[in-house]
Amino acid sequence: MKSMRGKVLQSDIPALSQELCERLLRDLERAKRPVIEATKCSLDNSIYNHKVGFLTPGDKRIRTELNVASVKKMSRAIFMLEILLRNIETGAVNTKRELYYISKGEVKHSKYLKPIDFQDQDESDGIIDFICEIIECYREELNCYANDRGGQTYSQQLIVEETLSDGGRAVIDLSQLGTSPFQPKNRPQNLTLRAKSKIDYCLIVESEGTANTLVANGFTKRNNCIVVGAQGVPSNAVRGWLKRIQDQLKIPLYFFGDLDAYTMQNIFRTLKAGSAASLIRNSDYSAPEVRFLGVLPEDIARFDLNDYPVQENDAQEGRALKKAKDALENDPFFRDKRNKGLSDILRWLLEHKRRCEQQAFFTVDPRDPTMPEKIIVEKIRKGNYV
Amino acid sequence: MAMEAQETKRGKAQLKTSSTAEYFAKNLQQVGFSSPTKAVLTTLKEAFDNSLDACEENDILPMIRVEVEKQGKGSTKNTDLIYISVQDNGPGISFKELPMVFGEYLASSKFGRGRCTRGQQGIGISAATTWAMQTAAQGVKVTTKTKGQKKATQCRIEIDLKNNKGLMKDKVDIDWAPAHGTRVEFWIDGRVQLNGEAGLIAFLKSNVLVNPHLSLKYKLMDDAEVTVDRVSDKVPHIPDATAPHPHTMKLGEFMGHGKLYGNIQVREWLQTAFSRMTNNVFEDLVKNHGTPKKLFDLKMNDIKEVDFKNLFAAIQTAELPPPSTGSVLAIGEEGLARSILRLGDIDYFSVVSRKPAICDFKPVQVEVAIARMTSRNDGVNEEDESSEVIRFANRVPLQFDKASCAIMKGVTSVNWKVYGLKQARNTPPSGPYIIAVSVVSPFIKFKNASKETIDASDELVEEIRRTLMQAGQRLSRHLRKEHKEAMLESKMQHIEQFAPILVEGLVRLTESSQERRELAHKGLLKILGREAKDAKDELAEADRKLEAHLTQKRKQLGAAYDIVMGREEDDEDHSRSEVRVGRKGGKPNTKLKKGVSETVDVILPDNVKKKAKDNKKPGKPAPVAGVKEAKKELASKKAVSAPKAVADAIPTKGKKGKVKGKGKAKPADPAAPKVNAKAAKAKEEPKAKVKAAPKKAAAKPAPKAKKAPAKKAEPKAKAKAKKKKTSGKGRAK
Repeated sequence: MKSMRGKVLQSDIPALSQELCERLLRDLERAKRPVIEATKCSLDNSIYNHKVGFLTPGDKRIRTELNVASVKKMSRAIFMLEILLRNIETGAVNTKRELYYISKGEVKHSKYLKPIDFQDQDESDGIIDFICEIIECYREELNCYANDRGGQTYSQQLIVEETLSDGGRAVIDLSQLGTSPFQPKNRPQNLTLRAKSKIDYCLIVESEGTANTLVANGFTKRNNCIVVGAQGVPSNAVRGWLKRIQDQLKIPLYFFGDLDAYTMQNIFRTLKAGSAASLIRNSDYSAPEVRFLGVLPEDIARFDLNDYPVQENDAQEGRALKKAKDALENDPFFRDKRNKGLSDILRWLLEHKRRCEQQAFFTVDPRDPTMPEKIIVEKIRKGNYV
Repeated sequence: MAMEAQETKRGKAQLKTSSTAEYFAKNLQQVGFSSPTKAVLTTLKEAFDNSLDACEENDILPMIRVEVEKQGKGSTKNTDLIYISVQDNGPGISFKELPMVFGEYLASSKFGRGRCTRGQQGIGISAATTWAMQTAAQGVKVTTKTKGQKKATQCRIEIDLKNNKGLMKDKVDIDWAPAHGTRVEFWIDGRVQLNGEAGLIAFLKSNVLVNPHLSLKYKLMDDAEVTVDRVSDKVPHIPDATAPHPHTMKLGEFMGHGKLYGNIQVREWLQTAFSRMTNNVFEDLVKNHGTPKKLFDLKMNDIKEVDFKNLFAAIQTAELPPPSTGSVLAIGEEGLARSILRLGDIDYFSVVSRKPAICDFKPVQVEVAIARMTSRNDGVNEEDESSEVIRFANRVPLQFDKASCAIMKGVTSVNWKVYGLKQARNTPPSGPYIIAVSVVSPFIKFKNASKETIDASDELVEEIRRTLMQAGQRLSRHLRKEHKEAMLESKMQHIEQFAPILVEGLVRLTESSQERRELAHKGLLKILGREAKDAKDELAEADRKLEAHLTQKRKQLGAAYDIVMGREEDDEDHSRSEVRVGRKGGKPNTKLKKGVSETVDVILPDNVKKKAKDNKKPGKPAPVAGVKEAKKELASKKAVSAPKAVADAIPTKGKKGKVKGKGKAKPADPAAPKVNAKAAKAKEEPKAKVKAAPKKAAAKPAPKAKKAPAKKAEPKAKAKAKKKKTSGKGRAK
């Protein structure tokens, strides 16, 4: 099967599916072994070009040939595809969990489907991802949405216009939401942004709690900006939302998070250049302009921040360090010389085996709740970021 | 130092010597009497071992009868009064020797002789007598008759602990039917444990395994009497001890040894009193170790102490051939193979008997038998249950303290996964297996006087490990075949289950016609069928290779057993004995001489299948039946007792006796019969057989049974059909 390069929209999916099934059926009629090809989504097939700004897929393809071993997987894929196409047709949306139960229900009502019954959600998730890889589309295009997580946005200047599925439009003035944030949904492509007055920058804070604190202490009142809480590794919605902010508002984006290997390679890298697992959708789900504001290694000395050693015995932290070492050797993003500043931070972390959390800015002047804001604003003003 | 009474704060403490008997009477826990349960087992064990040793020493095929029963409450708290009787057909004991045998510690005909007898020191039976005296206030009752005696001597033996002397009491001459033999009867305080690793049944079952020449009757508590017939008419010949190897001696021993041979020449002394002192060694001593040549010509009385010391040092540094392995007695692979059939329903097994090797400068022979039981525990999840390890030292079962035993360390050190068995780290493999490991040596290094654990020296563990690995390789041949069978089964299932779903889905999505559906379905079956055919071919090839190999080496053990012996060409362990190494011209490994992988016995369930094929009779016995048939054939040859009794009598760990003739409603081991069923399926047996399967099998079809329930139920149905057939040829029809 040839690659279906280019952006696949929801409207294209029924035809592409029809084409795929027709080809499979034709091959079977001729007793010819059908082969399905998909882009290999892994780090070893990732290419980073600073001009593009995000990870793109290489030439490696995964061939799934129909045989005794793969017939189960293919049967399941066709079965799940049928459910997803039905959703697209009716406009119904589901989470992966819901799709797992829908498939269980189908099996329950058609006993002959029992052999393809999913034993747990991991199995059905894998099949949904497989379908995305075959058709080379985002799962959101298949009306399969992830739970909303992160992306809480605060601003006094931003106005969002949303195109609804029924064709209507909704206009949201973020300054009118009081203390509530605006949270983008899983299809930020439907959102159009504009500023009612000049916006200087967008600050993305790793911790949603800290973002909320900054806003509650008047950050967005004193600064013409957007504050977004990432809430850990940014979800598709957050990544897509920040991409919209970057492209439509054309303002600088700054990321403020912990100084540790996990934040650098899992959170920031995914935000800036996308991930290896989602190579085919990084173009819409990454914000290459985002800069790393801190915490920077030099901030520890400069602001006398509380840092502490990495617990190498801790499985998660140990894994993050190992992954960081691997990233320096194999991740094209960190190997690119344009990202030397970021890879230097990773190297520093590996060498010193210390970490410092974003909340450490509160130690600088414990009696001044706006001290973190002052530091952030000063860092942005002085260009103290990577 | 003069022995004088010393004044202490507590008064006068008198120095006195105690007798050996007094020592052991106060420390009976050191020789296996640490609890009431162990006391019963140890008493039985000591009497049983003595009986076997006596028979073997006198070239008599042993017939032993054991009786254990509870005769009321014991004198001590929480104990019962247990009666233990062991009667043999041995040579009998002269009444003059009776007090010495049963009432005197360290009175033994075997002590320090360097032979592979069960008993060694002369402690055990006297300790049992002591325990009986201490707990029931009566010694051992002995009835014995030697050949030619008209009447048997019956008496009671007690121990004069102070003087370590046996006392004979109540001696009478009685009429006794046996021509010769001995019966010992103990009444002791104890508790009887029948089942489990430390149970009496395990002890007797283990003895049955390593003593093919043993004919045994036993009645334990309220259970029915059990008879186990011998499967070999050969009394094992216990090899004579060989002269000591100089490297096994210490300086004091060496010098003491010099005084035993009179005033002969040093050369003559070294050549006659020691083994491996060849002319080459003498030359080497002179050339490379600075021993003056004339020293060898001196008379023993003429050499000085310093010369002794120098000579000893020179010999220790010289390179000598390793000690002789001629003094080691093996059970033999044939005996093991025959005996293992008596353990229960065996799917297949392998036996490895390595040639004697030298470990820690002592000759040692390791033998291993691994059997897969068709049903070991009547329970569920047998695949996850740990296998049963049976340990032997000089053919005596070891039932306690297994964790630190060399055998257990050997078993856990093997990576069984590579042979297709399941295994958690540092544990024995899991599954319905019995792993019997026998270590035979005239000098076994036990960890304690009660001889419960073999010291785990690196060399011995390595030797055990290698033997186990060889046995594992044999087993893996069967498991590989099973794996291929399982693969084929899985492929067939996949095709049948998923093909219609895939085609239906594609047809629905493309809104295609019925015609296209049929065409696509046929095409898909064609594609997948090709793979299934490949798998079938692979299985057939594996089957053919296995069968050819086994058939080629058949007959060595007698056709009655369907057992085949042979050595694998693809053994991982290519270590050979020192002889082989020497012949090749290579330098022998003085640290560890490896034994030759001699012969291996593998039961041949497939032979039965082959027979069935050859005879073109679908009703012929299934693989499991092959073993049963062998037993049956054996029993009919011997015509002593029914094989049913044997099968029932020697249950494996927790297994209840299976009544032959009834068959099984459902096999307890899900894996084995399934595999057999798969094998049967792979062999494309006539479909008529499926119909002959019991209805119950069809009532619980396999998951894929939707479309063709009868066909899906085939494996289980066949397995059950085969089980039934094992109990009677006419039943399957």
